[in-house]
Amino acid sequence: MSVDLNADGPADGQSDRSARIEINSIGKRYGDLQVFQDINLDFNEREIVTIVGPSGCGKTTLLRCIDGLLPVSEGEIRIEGELMTTPREGVAMVFQHFGLFPWKTVFQNVGYGLKLAGASKAEIAEKVPYFINLVGLDGFDSSFPYQLSGGMQQRCGLARALAMEPSVLLMDEPFAAVDAQTREILQFELLRIWDMRPMTMIFVTHSIEEAVLMGDRVVVLKGRPSSVFEIIDVNLPAPRDRSTLAHPRFSELREHVWGTLMDEVRAAEFDVN
Amino acid sequence: MSKVLALINSDHRSVRWGTVIFSLLVGAALWESVGWSFNQAIMAPLIGGADHPGTIPRLYKYIVHDEEYRLSLLQSVQLFSTGFALAVVFSVPLGIIMARLATLRVALESYILVLYVTPMIALIPFILSILGFDFWPKVLVVFLFAFFPILYNTLEGARSVKPELLEVAKSFRSSEVAIWFDVLIPYTLPYTLTGIRQAAGRALVGMVAAEFFLATSGLGEELITASRNFDMAGVLATILVITGLGITFMRIAQAFEQKYSAWRGVNR
Ligand SMILES: Nc1ncnc2c1ncn2[C@@H]1O[C@H](COP(=O)(O)OP(=O)(O)O)[C@@H](O)[C@H]1O
Ligand SMILES: [Mg+2]
Repeated sequence: MSVDLNADGPADGQSDRSARIEINSIGKRYGDLQVFQDINLDFNEREIVTIVGPSGCGKTTLLRCIDGLLPVSEGEIRIEGELMTTPREGVAMVFQHFGLFPWKTVFQNVGYGLKLAGASKAEIAEKVPYFINLVGLDGFDSSFPYQLSGGMQQRCGLARALAMEPSVLLMDEPFAAVDAQTREILQFELLRIWDMRPMTMIFVTHSIEEAVLMGDRVVVLKGRPSSVFEIIDVNLPAPRDRSTLAHPRFSELREHVWGTLMDEVRAAEFDVN
Repeated sequence: MSKVLALINSDHRSVRWGTVIFSLLVGAALWESVGWSFNQAIMAPLIGGADHPGTIPRLYKYIVHDEEYRLSLLQSVQLFSTGFALAVVFSVPLGIIMARLATLRVALESYILVLYVTPMIALIPFILSILGFDFWPKVLVVFLFAFFPILYNTLEGARSVKPELLEVAKSFRSSEVAIWFDVLIPYTLPYTLTGIRQAAGRALVGMVAAEFFLATSGLGEELITASRNFDMAGVLATILVITGLGITFMRIAQAFEQKYSAWRGVNR
């Protein structure tokens, strides 16, 4: 696959594709269950922030709130100053479960958001192949999801979100359901794509390594109900690639976060059993 | 020995078709011999001969040489198609709306469950006394037989739509109409088609029952006339025609079912 990294994408020339997000003391309750509380976060333009925390600590719930799929119970979320109440143009989400429509082909899945946004047939026919190529799915335009491996399905989910040319990309453990090797490949490809079209990316994961590798900043969620325990400036040299994994600072940060979360992870484990 | 077993259990095409043909031949031979050993007013053989009129020759005569019989067949097919089509048109949207609107579902659910298990044939006297003998009361009978299986399966399907997919639709700012066409209908279609396949069999019963109990007409009338004349070959030939209709409708529904559930990644 060869993608010209500076290729003229259909929407090239749009200089500002990123947004500033403010989260002001939000909390979320499901009935009696307080999932998280008193979360304050700012996300800058063209920044990758990873959010790491054990399973069940409310990462998906937090992203749903940021996407406008769920109302918060306390506090407020603003994107470019606007209060977030319902899904908004310029914000796109990649789902842990991929969320592809099994009866749609790769082409139709990638074009789904464009069609809803009222794009013309010609526009869709121009943009969709570009994004299919960008995520490395050339030749699979007319395949159905069940014919693809997990990794390829998530490439499709990623292309569907990127096709909206969002200024905010929300990623909910996007690679948690794919095998380890594929996950590594996808991580680096995502960073490469981000380099081409930087945007604000909020990347949720339960993998400490992934959080440190991908993030400019790492937000550690902890506690029951959970809240922000620590925000770490990663400061690893760009570009991030395989050599990053061998960088002394990488292992230092990984051990640091691990130490922070260890008791939490243990507790979660016993909770499950 | 093990070779013989392997052959018997092989699902090779030739073995399968061989088994089917053999089974049909045995059935036909059995029918033939039973037909010959009874009085012709009680049972007719398949092929038959002198003083034992056969079912197949009668079927041939009906279809090829009997204008009136062909009209009866057409009448029945019309009745069936009208009632069935109306059942589909009303039950599918109702099923999806009920899945989307919890209140409506709660309000109607118990009625639907009751009517789903009620033998529709028991309602025929009411329909007769309220609506009379025309074409449309008969259509109503077919409609009632077909309506509930389709509604029930559609509702089941629409209710089981993956919430994750609805969330995706919401995240991409889909309108309710677009949710119907992108998510609800494609997801529900295989369930609806299962309902349609079940309903086809029931509607056929409804068709014959309507033609028996309301003003006799169509194949039902042919059946009654033949049986009053102790013409067993005629009775059996008409039963074969009805069975043939049933198999045809069922096959058509099955073909659609397979086509629209290909995305499930099975049947391949
Ligand atoms: N719709 C819901 N209703 C009630 N509880 C929920 C709902 N969704 C999630 N939860 C609960 O909220 C907590 C956080 O869930 P989630 O956000 O999925 O965590 P994570 O993504 O970090 O694994 C869990 O205890 C989960 O059971
Ligand atoms: Mg989650």
